Amino acid sequence: MALAGADPLAGFAALLHGALGGTHQISETLVQTTSLLFPSLAVAFAFRAGLFNIGAEGQLVIGGLCAGLLGAWLTLPGWLAIPLILAAGALGGGLWGGIAGTLRARFAGNEVIATLMLNIIAGLFANYLVVGPLRAPDAAGAETAELPESSWLPALVPDTRLSIALVFGLALAALLAFVFRRTVFGYSLRAAGDAPEAARRAGIDLARTAFVAMTLSGAIAGFGGATIVAGVLHRFNVALSPGYGFIAIAVALVGGLDPLWIVAASFAFGILQSGSLTMQALAHVPKDVVTFVEGLAILGLATRRIVATRSAPA
Amino acid sequence: MALVLVKATPLVFAALAGVVCERAGILNIALEGALTAGAFAAVAVSYATGSPLLGLAAGVLAGMLVCGLLGLAATRFGVDQIVAGTGINLLAAGGTAFGLVVVFGQPGASPEVNALGKTGEVALALAAFFCAFALQALLDRTPWGLRLRACGENPQAVRSAGLDPRRIRLLATIAGGALAGLGGVFLALGELDIYSDGMTAGRGFIALAAVIFGRWTPLGAAAAALAFGALSALQFVLQRAGVPSELMQALPYLAALAALTGLAGRARAPAADGVPY
Amino acid sequence: MPAPALVLRGVAKVYPGGVRAVDGVDLELGAGEIHALCGENGAGKSTLAQIASGNLAPTAGTVTGAERVGLVHQHFELVLRLRVWENVLLGREPRRGLAIDAGAARERVRGLAASHGLDVDPDAVVETLPVGIAQRVEILRELARDPRVLVLDEPTAVLSPPEIDALFATLRSLARNGTAILVITHKLQEVVSHAERVTVMRAGRVVLRTLTGDTSIAAIARAMVGGELPALAARTPRATTAAFVARDLAAGDGAHALRSASFEVRGGEIVGIAGVEGNGQSALTDAVAGVLPYSGDMTLGGATLAGENAEARIAAGIRTIPQDRQTEALVLSWSICDNVALGDQTRGPMRAGATLDRAAMRTLATQIVDRFDVRTPSIQTPMRALSGGNQQKVVVGRALAHDPVLVVAYQPTRGIDVGAAALVQSRLIEARNAGSAVLLVSFELDEVLALADRILVLFRGTIVGAFERADFDRARIGALMAGAA
Repeated sequence: MALAGADPLAGFAALLHGALGGTHQISETLVQTTSLLFPSLAVAFAFRAGLFNIGAEGQLVIGGLCAGLLGAWLTLPGWLAIPLILAAGALGGGLWGGIAGTLRARFAGNEVIATLMLNIIAGLFANYLVVGPLRAPDAAGAETAELPESSWLPALVPDTRLSIALVFGLALAALLAFVFRRTVFGYSLRAAGDAPEAARRAGIDLARTAFVAMTLSGAIAGFGGATIVAGVLHRFNVALSPGYGFIAIAVALVGGLDPLWIVAASFAFGILQSGSLTMQALAHVPKDVVTFVEGLAILGLATRRIVATRSAPA
Repeated sequence: MALVLVKATPLVFAALAGVVCERAGILNIALEGALTAGAFAAVAVSYATGSPLLGLAAGVLAGMLVCGLLGLAATRFGVDQIVAGTGINLLAAGGTAFGLVVVFGQPGASPEVNALGKTGEVALALAAFFCAFALQALLDRTPWGLRLRACGENPQAVRSAGLDPRRIRLLATIAGGALAGLGGVFLALGELDIYSDGMTAGRGFIALAAVIFGRWTPLGAAAAALAFGALSALQFVLQRAGVPSELMQALPYLAALAALTGLAGRARAPAADGVPY
Repeated sequence: MPAPALVLRGVAKVYPGGVRAVDGVDLELGAGEIHALCGENGAGKSTLAQIASGNLAPTAGTVTGAERVGLVHQHFELVLRLRVWENVLLGREPRRGLAIDAGAARERVRGLAASHGLDVDPDAVVETLPVGIAQRVEILRELARDPRVLVLDEPTAVLSPPEIDALFATLRSLARNGTAILVITHKLQEVVSHAERVTVMRAGRVVLRTLTGDTSIAAIARAMVGGELPALAARTPRATTAAFVARDLAAGDGAHALRSASFEVRGGEIVGIAGVEGNGQSALTDAVAGVLPYSGDMTLGGATLAGENAEARIAAGIRTIPQDRQTEALVLSWSICDNVALGDQTRGPMRAGATLDRAAMRTLATQIVDRFDVRTPSIQTPMRALSGGNQQKVVVGRALAHDPVLVVAYQPTRGIDVGAAALVQSRLIEARNAGSAVLLVSFELDEVLALADRILVLFRGTIVGAFERADFDRARIGALMAGAA
């Protein structure tokens, strides 16, 4: 911060004020928290299975795209439309994750490269659709038509952008925690990630597990994209994510891959994200400092080997 | 076509960087960050000093620093290579965007600076191809090449032979960084004469695909990068024929996905690629 | 005594946390002698070897004479995709200008190999070589550095009897030329036949140091264990019917493939597969365990086994004790309790609907810890905190816990201390007594001789001999293992 010629203390103060200074600020922070929570859970889910899902960004975008398109088109009552829209997001993201999953499962393709490529393809695809054929006639930028108000996610706190998506996120975190600790499926997943050869000999189908893990991971990220569309922006816009999918990797690591700790980590990073704009406006510290810090966080925290065995594709 | 070479040169440099790192056992996904840093440093120094040559030097140094950071994190601090690479990409993205404001006083893009000019462009492009051949010979025929390859296959064996595999891997990433830095320099001072936020546009990742297509050899990766460059150049031609530009832009990435299915033939990656030592 | 080539005085190695791997050891190695170092796993032999060769710094004590000490590892450290000469001369490549002089390199390796009687093709890619030849490459690499002392860690583990003889002939000729040789081994027969002096370690200390001529195998074994060897469980006579039948079984490819095997294992008997490592044992056990595709058929209790399906094997009652417990049987970061459910996670009693039955897991873990004398603070202790012997006990306990129809035990006592090994072997005999069919695959002929009711000798992927217990003939079996007609 000092480099930018600004006062670091003022910068921090502005950050915190911007993040937590009032009801409106806190709700914005929680919006960021929610937006980060879904992709972070997605990344952690894949990590636990021994897979690197670097593609949460792309899965989120595709999910948001599907949700936005369906939402703009549907004219059903809210209680029917909303679940469908969210499901569309999950399906889109799941499909996107499934592509990487198939490449890994059937062809032993490196999912790091696959998801990286898919991220960019997702962005280009969304761009094409929304700048061209599916652009809303009255739209300001590259975006779809607005969702009918009945399809908007109900707000958690009135007059803010915070929707019940946060509740969904918390529920999902609790569900994943349960899956990992108590269920057979979670056990098999963890075994595949922690000791793939032992898992294989114990009858666990590694290829199938990889596919399922990547698909579900993608679905979670896609669902997150859908909540941004339905709850925050009320339309799909190509700029719906300032890199949540990548920051999610940091959040997942900070949270030690544990769903419940990830909730806390998402909140911490949510503070960083929402406070950064205020910090820029008030203390003249460029918001990209935050991105820089997030990168440092990853490097600093990853000194213990999080993914126990990097299972090279068979 | 000259346009193909222009499009391909940064990719060739990045792909060569990828090969050097991966043959030594480091899966370098921070190439994107190295390209960004190299481009930014080149423009910043050219702006400050008016000399594109100094900018070139700065770009190379920046690339070496960025990749060297990955090498350090992976070899000395036990950070997982993929995680470290992701972190460094974020660092580079944030750092350069931040840098735009600090150095140029404006976000988004820098003002125009003194660039390399036509001769400079041609020289760098030739250098890229020269490097491809040089690296191939270095890897196959020299002692350092042998030791680097051994590191990528079985670092334990290198240790037994009395050498230090961590040091070799670190040096390899720094060398790769220099190449990636050159790629960034060409991008910013060769093809254009400014730096803009996000100008690398995923080239660092295409380079990884080129490495796979090229079977982890310098000549192969350079050839693949050339092919990708051609695709990129074709973009303009086909766009006039009505093909959406996004599709053209997506082609290299789609090709990379196809490569993962083994359509390009199954050669094996170095056995210890990505495996920490 | 000839002038000492290597002297260790008061050497100790203490790790953070207080583990004393080596605790005050004196050792003198004379030029031109062959010296054996024996001890159980965990006694400190390998650590001492690392210190002696200069790879590891001791926490205390002095090592003199260690400038040129070569170390041949038990698990070869070769770069498989490179050629022999590239491996041998890595780090000391002959040069012509900036490039490697490949011609000179090949010549140097050829010359080195010839002068030590180690026949090997310098241009061969290491990954294509059989294990015995690959070991020569490792030895050549050390010899290329012209060592005064050569340390070999369990060198004969992967060799057949004639190859062992050839190795010791090479070592003797090296010794005659003045090189001091330290052989770490647990094969006491070799110690007595080939070494001049022997040092025995236990728990980091030297407990016996003598001329081999002045001692016996029994005395050395007692020193290693610190007491008498525990006796094995008694075998009860069994009436048996065929439980597992393999017909024309073939699996894997390349030098270590299983080419064709037909055999049966009856309930209540132990069939021992004798053979040197690399003759198809891995392909055999993997095919039976359902993790490798195969041709031919296998039946269990009359029902044909279905292809490559580990899950179905376990469900049918086939349990495996894999060769490498750390990567193939256990999740080291998990607790004992979590590990005991591995393999059974999809069926009761470990499973209750979609969730795991943790109470059942705890019960089983406690049973195994009791029955197998697993030394651990609790069943929640992470697996990696346990010693190798205790880890193996958990693996074996898990395999035997559900009254398996067939147990495939692949090197069940590899790398564990004598006490744990005896316990594991006894439990296998008890499983046999209770009616399980046991397929024992081991590279230790003594183990096979001690446990098996019938022995089948595997050589180059086919069964070349069969022996009933009453007709066990050590010499003949050893000869078949080496490929004699």
